[in-house]
Amino acid sequence: MEELMKKMSESLQRGKAKDVKAMVQEAIDGGYSAQKILNEGLLSGMEVIGIKFKANEIYVPDVLIAARAMKAGTDLLRPLLVSEGVEAIGTVVIGTVKGDLHDIGKNLVTMMMEGKGLEVIDLGTDVPAEKFIETAIEKKARIIACSALLTTTMGEMKSVVEAAVAAGIRDQITIMVGGAPVTDHFAKSIGADIYQPDAASAAEAAAHVALGKSA
Amino acid sequence: MNGKERILKTLRHEPVDRPAWVPFAGVHAGSLIGKNATEMLSDGQNLFDGLMQVHKLYQPDGMPVVFDLQVEAEILGCELHWAEFAPPSVKTHPLADTQDMLCDCRQPSAEKGRLPMILDVMKKIKTAVGDETALYGLICGPFTLASHLRGNELFMDLILEEEYVQELMTYTTQTALKMVDLYADAGMDVIAVVDPLVSQISPDHFTTACHTAFKTIFDYIRAKGLASSFFVCGNATRQLDVMCETAPDSISIDENVDMASAKAITDRYNIAIGGNIPLTTLMLHGTQQENMKYVVNMLDTLSHDNLIIAPGCDMPYHVPAMNAIGATQAVRETDTTREMVKNYEAPKLDIEVELPDYDNLKKPLVEVFTLDSATCAACTYMMEAMNVAGEHFGAKIDLVEYKFTEKVNIARCIKMGVTNLPCVYVNGQLKWSSIIPSREELFGYIDSLLG
Repeated sequence: MEELMKKMSESLQRGKAKDVKAMVQEAIDGGYSAQKILNEGLLSGMEVIGIKFKANEIYVPDVLIAARAMKAGTDLLRPLLVSEGVEAIGTVVIGTVKGDLHDIGKNLVTMMMEGKGLEVIDLGTDVPAEKFIETAIEKKARIIACSALLTTTMGEMKSVVEAAVAAGIRDQITIMVGGAPVTDHFAKSIGADIYQPDAASAAEAAAHVALGKSA
Repeated sequence: MNGKERILKTLRHEPVDRPAWVPFAGVHAGSLIGKNATEMLSDGQNLFDGLMQVHKLYQPDGMPVVFDLQVEAEILGCELHWAEFAPPSVKTHPLADTQDMLCDCRQPSAEKGRLPMILDVMKKIKTAVGDETALYGLICGPFTLASHLRGNELFMDLILEEEYVQELMTYTTQTALKMVDLYADAGMDVIAVVDPLVSQISPDHFTTACHTAFKTIFDYIRAKGLASSFFVCGNATRQLDVMCETAPDSISIDENVDMASAKAITDRYNIAIGGNIPLTTLMLHGTQQENMKYVVNMLDTLSHDNLIIAPGCDMPYHVPAMNAIGATQAVRETDTTREMVKNYEAPKLDIEVELPDYDNLKKPLVEVFTLDSATCAACTYMMEAMNVAGEHFGAKIDLVEYKFTEKVNIARCIKMGVTNLPCVYVNGQLKWSSIIPSREELFGYIDSLLG
């Protein structure tokens, strides 16, 4: 069975959705727990994808195709994970800020975060600051992740920080920011908590926060 | 050697007197004339006026006429989301849910979309400055255009639907060729194929899915007797080799790529390289001194053959004009600028300057601080405007110019806290910076001081 997990992870990395789905079913039928299959077969594969993406060894299409393969597997596992009482390590509310329609970067971060075992609520693009806050409160999320690809929309990230303060939840929420024009200096200047330059690092930082480690 | 000759020689890989300067002022041009991005990109008069202001202040060797990668997408049926301070974004993708191909009847022609306005402005700019300045016609690259039409699904199609991608790329290549025809007829000297998304796919994917398209476009541009450039955004370090293999005359990169390493690659292919002044950290948020220093450093560390100095990409709307003026001065007057930066940064200048007693002036004192009104165009125009006021008001006001080329004036600038040039202080207070006031505004203000 260990061999099966390894093959599953490798197939996921190559984006072989049908193969991954079949192997997940085989593992379920073989009596493996959903959590074990998730961690050792699927998330381990996404971990490798994240590392390679960060190192510029693979590119956007490879990440998307791997994430698609992971989804094929997790769709089968989801009901079993619920019945086993397995929960996500944390919840993240993610979106591209108001006035900005770019979504590739945000989607990649979403996939990488899911690959770390986080539940990610994707609000899409052109998201008003208040929407991030309302959703975080409603879903009891501890992390808000904002993306901006334009120098003219970066300022909206500050609105998200201010909206969290206004709602009285600033001390309960970790606010992450990212996107091509965003820098660590900018993140600090608007009072955000975390900036990461790439999707894999962002997912890693979010997982650290969710697990109660320092980012 | 004028700017146009400098650009065309650089793109033919011939020696030039100094590296060429191409400030990418798209929507930013609007900030120079008080118009927002939408007003700039949808109104021919605004576009023309903005470009003329860019030409006046930044003295470009080459300049883009319109920097908007959504022109073709709009014609092909994408809905756009317009913004106040950025180019529009594509909101809907007509092929998002279908693999049907668009009809050839949708392809661009001179009467479609915003092309009538753009082609008209191109012809007017050609008449106004085209003899001395190389004009860049920017077209949306075939891969980015394919993503405008298909949406993010295109990335997975690269792996799952190779034949469909080929079909789509063939269509967008035809779009590019039609745009080349239109922009060539409107007098453009250089066609820049702008494809920011190329950095997001592997070199292998580029070769299998994109090589033919780009090679076809660059060959076509060359056959029409024009020069070409391949603009990319993001960290395209690993794609540079395969980009070079499509044989553009030049490549333009942003700050995500190390310029020296990139130039080592493009030099191997004898392709010119342009870039890569950082847009956000430096041009938008940096100081004029920092911009001058950065460009001087580029010029001091890179070999000058096959080199174009340019911002990393389209300058953000709110880039302070003084920062682009600083970069301009650094390219045009590198030695003088190097000295300016050095003196400004010197720990202590052994020069004592006495500032006027601003609270007890007998008449209005107009102090003009310039990089050097003899060589910096923005400074020349600022000084000319003040000289007109000087002649008009005569002995009723005092007018003085301080050129930053002299150490004593640098000491004065430091003492007064002047950081951005050209600027005008009246009675010791900063009144105008970079943007030259109209005669009406200037005279009105001085009249108000005279009571």
